[in-house]
Amino acid sequence: MVKNKALPLIATERLLALVPYISAHQGVSIKELSEIFGVTASQINNDLTTLWMCGLPGYTPLELMDLSFESGYVTIQNAPTLKAPRSLTFEEIISLLFGLDLVRDSVKDNQELQKSIEKLVARLSEKSDIQSRLRASNPVSGVIRAAIEKAIDTKGLLTCEYHSLYSDQYSVRTISPLELRIDGGVEYLFAYCVTSQAFRTFRVDRIGKVENVEKTLDVKAEASYQDEKFLHFTVKIHNRLRAMKERFYIEESIVETGNSLSSYSAQWILRSIIASSGSVEIIEPEEIRLKVVSKAQEIMAQYASNERS
Amino acid sequence: MSRKSERLVNLTIALLATKRFLTKSEIFRNIEGYEGSEESKERMFERDKDDLRSLGIEIEVGGLDPLFNDEAGYRIKPESYSLNLGDLDGIDIALLSMAAQAWHGQALNSAAHSALVKLNSIGINSDVDSIPTLAPRMAWSSEELTVVLEAIAERRSIKFSYTNKELIVEIRTVQPYAVASRGGHWYFTGMDTSKSELRTFRFDRVHGQIEVDATALAYEIPEGFDLLKNFEQDMRISTAVLEVRQGKAFELRKMATAVEQLGEWDRITCEYFDESSFIDLVLWHLDDAVVLEPQALRDSIISSLNEILDMHG
Repeated sequence: MVKNKALPLIATERLLALVPYISAHQGVSIKELSEIFGVTASQINNDLTTLWMCGLPGYTPLELMDLSFESGYVTIQNAPTLKAPRSLTFEEIISLLFGLDLVRDSVKDNQELQKSIEKLVARLSEKSDIQSRLRASNPVSGVIRAAIEKAIDTKGLLTCEYHSLYSDQYSVRTISPLELRIDGGVEYLFAYCVTSQAFRTFRVDRIGKVENVEKTLDVKAEASYQDEKFLHFTVKIHNRLRAMKERFYIEESIVETGNSLSSYSAQWILRSIIASSGSVEIIEPEEIRLKVVSKAQEIMAQYASNERS
Repeated sequence: MSRKSERLVNLTIALLATKRFLTKSEIFRNIEGYEGSEESKERMFERDKDDLRSLGIEIEVGGLDPLFNDEAGYRIKPESYSLNLGDLDGIDIALLSMAAQAWHGQALNSAAHSALVKLNSIGINSDVDSIPTLAPRMAWSSEELTVVLEAIAERRSIKFSYTNKELIVEIRTVQPYAVASRGGHWYFTGMDTSKSELRTFRFDRVHGQIEVDATALAYEIPEGFDLLKNFEQDMRISTAVLEVRQGKAFELRKMATAVEQLGEWDRITCEYFDESSFIDLVLWHLDDAVVLEPQALRDSIISSLNEILDMHG
């Protein structure tokens, strides 16, 4: 893998990519080229001037590429040798293969697209030496994310089914999506929930059945984050160290002596402690500690009353 | 700078356009930009060849003609130079573009972007109207992803520091077989050579850089190695019977293979792989879920509850 390529090589790569791109988009503007290739317009101008000097040996007008770009719009003629785009690199193939996995998961019920994807995967796999030993997945469907992004862009409303893991409840809500973010591999949506009239953070993988509503709502996002109060708590991990460190999102490398953490849901803290099956002790706050004890007793009572053997 | 890239582009064009191998002297005579003494031209050409190869352009060497002074010749085969994915239509291009966009802001973003530019240079218009509106996205990825992928492609061993279950960092040596992402995390599977066992590793539990061994083709990936099966962690499936409160315990209901309604409670049958994470999941649902069978699982949960009570009592 070539990292930190020297400047002339980066330029060469771009020059070789520019010719097929322009050939397929005759009349493309310099501005568009600079956006696509991620360089300034004057750099594109330099590139085009360089290409103008390139061609087959002999380098008479007969052999040189014929470029015109003075008007700000670019056309190219007489460049048959470089007209086809270059073959895909290893990393490019990999990126497409993984990406196709996610596309495939998002169009599960469309047989025809599934078939097209299989064909593309087979052809790309042939070109790399890695074949089918890859698999990417994302619990969030591309269809749901697209609906959310559309609502964010248009400041539109969205109705959705939501399963809250903290309260273990299904609800149908109308929300005004504001921001998508990723934390520790999990996608969250920050939104104004019209149903509960408050700003809320939703786990995107718990959102099902969305529908864009043709109505907009102007929400001032600035005041929002104060809506969610953080609770501070301290835990001590007794065993299953790595699993518990990951469950409680502990950053520090030392966990045995106790860690101060925060969450905005007392419900989450309570459930997480009990679901740690005795591997994690909550030290503070006393309130939740007592709640853990009473909840554990209630569960125990269920088992006692449920004694059927 | 532009002189150098100009020469490289001209060299590429000449080597691509030629039907036969071009000798060095022909290259020096005909291609613009080779100047100076014989020796400096030679040096220039050697460097140019390396540079083009580093860009992934294959330069073929050959054409030793016995009739002449056997001087080596060079050319670039158009088949290897240009993109060829067979017949593609507008829908294919739209699907591939969608796939490339999934990397937005993540590790392979720049590779995905350059792939997209190439796909858009074929001259087939993307037919986005024929596919549903999608926004696929990689939720997280590791810079080390491509390191492991290249090691797999070249069958090289890798060495890295890894946090084990007890949070102790160990050095592991692995012959990697496969890479996959699940539930927002990236994993790789391979033969752990110190343990002589197939193991799966999570990228974010690797510390620092992954070292790749110098020897290529050092191992073979077993025929019939099934990635998906291995990511199920080759564990036996166990079955449990639970009672869950009406309108509660949706995560457990998702795993159910059978449901029987009993009024306030439903009786469900679940299949699970890992006992300890299943116990965690049952307890997450507090007093809304109770395991009836097997007795051993029930006992484990009761003893976990006793531990919680002792610890917090």
